[in-house]
Amino acid sequence: MKLSIIALTLAALCISRMAAADPPIKPPPAAPGLATGLADSAALRATVFGTPPQDIAPLPAKVPLFEMDLLMPWARPVPAVFWFDRRLRVWFSAQPKPAPLAIIISGAGSDGNTTKLSTLRAVLYGAGYHVLTVPSPTFPGFIVSTSSTGVAGDLLQDGHDLYAAMVEIIAHLPRKVQITDVDVLGYSLGGANAAIVKSIDASEHKLHVHRALMINPPVSLFATVGRLDKLFAITLGKGDAGIELFYQKLYAQLANLYRASDRVQLDEDFLLGAAASALKTDAEFSAAIALAFRIALSNVFFAGDLYSGAGVVVDPKHPPKVGDSLEETARILRGKSFSEYFTKVLAPYYLKRRPNSTRDTLIAQNRLEVIGDALRSDPDYYAQTNSNDLILDAADLAWLKTTLGPRIAVYDHGGHLGNLGDRQQVSDMLDMLGGRWQAGAQ
Amino acid sequence: MKATRWAMRLAPIFLALSGCASQRVIFHSLPPETPAADNAAAIKHIQALMAQAKAAAEGGAKNAKQAEAVEAPVTAAEAPSMTTYDPWGRLNRFTYRFNARFDEAVFLPVANHYRRLPSPLRAGVNNFFSNLTEVGSVINYALQGRLGRGAKSLGRFLINSTIGIGGLIDVAARLQLPRAPTGFAMTLSQWGMHPGPYAVIPFYGPSTLREAIGVAADYGVSYGVNLADLYRGPQSWGLGTLNAVDQRANIDFRYYDTGSPFEYDTISFLYMRKLLIEDAALHPPKERNPSVPAGK
Repeated sequence: MKLSIIALTLAALCISRMAAADPPIKPPPAAPGLATGLADSAALRATVFGTPPQDIAPLPAKVPLFEMDLLMPWARPVPAVFWFDRRLRVWFSAQPKPAPLAIIISGAGSDGNTTKLSTLRAVLYGAGYHVLTVPSPTFPGFIVSTSSTGVAGDLLQDGHDLYAAMVEIIAHLPRKVQITDVDVLGYSLGGANAAIVKSIDASEHKLHVHRALMINPPVSLFATVGRLDKLFAITLGKGDAGIELFYQKLYAQLANLYRASDRVQLDEDFLLGAAASALKTDAEFSAAIALAFRIALSNVFFAGDLYSGAGVVVDPKHPPKVGDSLEETARILRGKSFSEYFTKVLAPYYLKRRPNSTRDTLIAQNRLEVIGDALRSDPDYYAQTNSNDLILDAADLAWLKTTLGPRIAVYDHGGHLGNLGDRQQVSDMLDMLGGRWQAGAQ
Repeated sequence: MKATRWAMRLAPIFLALSGCASQRVIFHSLPPETPAADNAAAIKHIQALMAQAKAAAEGGAKNAKQAEAVEAPVTAAEAPSMTTYDPWGRLNRFTYRFNARFDEAVFLPVANHYRRLPSPLRAGVNNFFSNLTEVGSVINYALQGRLGRGAKSLGRFLINSTIGIGGLIDVAARLQLPRAPTGFAMTLSQWGMHPGPYAVIPFYGPSTLREAIGVAADYGVSYGVNLADLYRGPQSWGLGTLNAVDQRANIDFRYYDTGSPFEYDTISFLYMRKLLIEDAALHPPKERNPSVPAGK
């Protein structure tokens, strides 16, 4: 009798849970067009190799630099496996005299001291700016130390978190730093973040942001990552097998290079050499780009799953501890797409906390159109992009041109960020931030 | 008494490790970045690569044997497994965390101060310690049966110790005798020993059982030879610390720069592959079973 009561209770519990369970969320609509967006063969190569050093604008010989590690007052408890990410780490280069401040936001999944940021920092410091470089809100160090949700990837929420972080950082700058004006810029996803930060400042007035510059920004976040998912599926396939073969191919090439040159290094130049000789086809260059994105996504997915308690790869009742192996988790995460992150982690989390929102409104809020009015009417928003950028399609590029009008520079080369720091890009960037930009002059 | 002395030695480390934990903002002043110099170096590197490519294209037909070696593919079947042989993973992960904390609190700040010294001075220190390792290289090349290379290391040692003022200037490199260090770990590899399990050594970092044996043996040789009485007595502590700081200052790595909880796995993966590449250069790679973890 007792057993049957227990069984009935369990059955009733299961049924009530099933009834209460939310219907599955549909993934974002498939990105239209090619998986490589506007990119051609040259654009894929430019995206992988970056700006050729000989094309980079003149840089100052030395740039002073200090690092700030901040504990945010609103920080959430830090999970054991993220013990090293308790503080937000940012970098500052101070001018010895009063000067405008340029805040640069990193691209998706990156920290605040990447090579691309170093180039921009040097250029802007050389042009007389104080320079603050901050990580992307999708960088694990930011998610753990600063994010108010732990679930990164929502443009507006990430913008609010970034804004709060910037206010906190500036409040703690050394007193001798005198700021005359504030501009915000960023590359890739950081570009979209920069524009959102300026739009938030328009109502909160804590930073007094003057100009915002987007360098190679996405127009629709979910369409872009959907396209990268597609690229991954095409070039590397599902699961681990494709990635293993790709790694093995690179490994094989490293071994060959070693035999040829009797040199063993795993530095950037050596790997670049290996990549240059190992990657030959467009599919292989695409695979390298898709894999880099997938590795960044793994961190966002893992942190989001852990913080939201979604239970996709992390058991919410038994979260991993310091000595636990994460090799298997990493392997599983390499096979997880952004679409899965959206349906299982991001959308359930935000839909629960935003009572009137739906899947469609969530997708719409992650388009730059969400600040379209400001972009159209405020003359202090600028953009630089390339006509062969793989994160855009023709409609995205047309939207950017129509929305920003004369405040956008479109270059015919570089793919995605493959011309960042070159003479033309730098000269136009400084003109835009200095309020001297004239569309016809490029 | 001895315990008190040790406690006094270790106290600053623990204070540094535990201090700063509650401060809202910590400032680290860093050596200035030198992007102009970096860029110049990158341009030079590209020009050198282009010159090499041009030379290879022109000389390719003449040197068919070398071209064949470069093009001989290592097939997917020969490539090792994606997983690393890491039976001590739990201990290794804790040690990795200890190393990260020690590096952040003690090692890296000291190395950053050291990086501010004039570069000729740092180069001198680096050359001095590099020159000392030539003694071990000579012995190990002999054990590996690579006598030609051993003779080169001996030549480097003699030239740099005399004309190079005790090793402070690398004169031999300018005489077309570039550095090619080797150690007992490489000797073990030459003798056919597998890398063994991945191991993270306190203060030292990523290693394997074979590498750890090699490092210990190399130190044993240095201690035994005790060149110029540098490896015994109180001065050995000072020199050992300077050597460690110099090495750290020359390694462009910071723990958890990735911010990722998977950093340990990435490092072990890359480290093991570096070893396998070195091994592959010594022995022709055999067919490997991809289900056997790399290193086993």
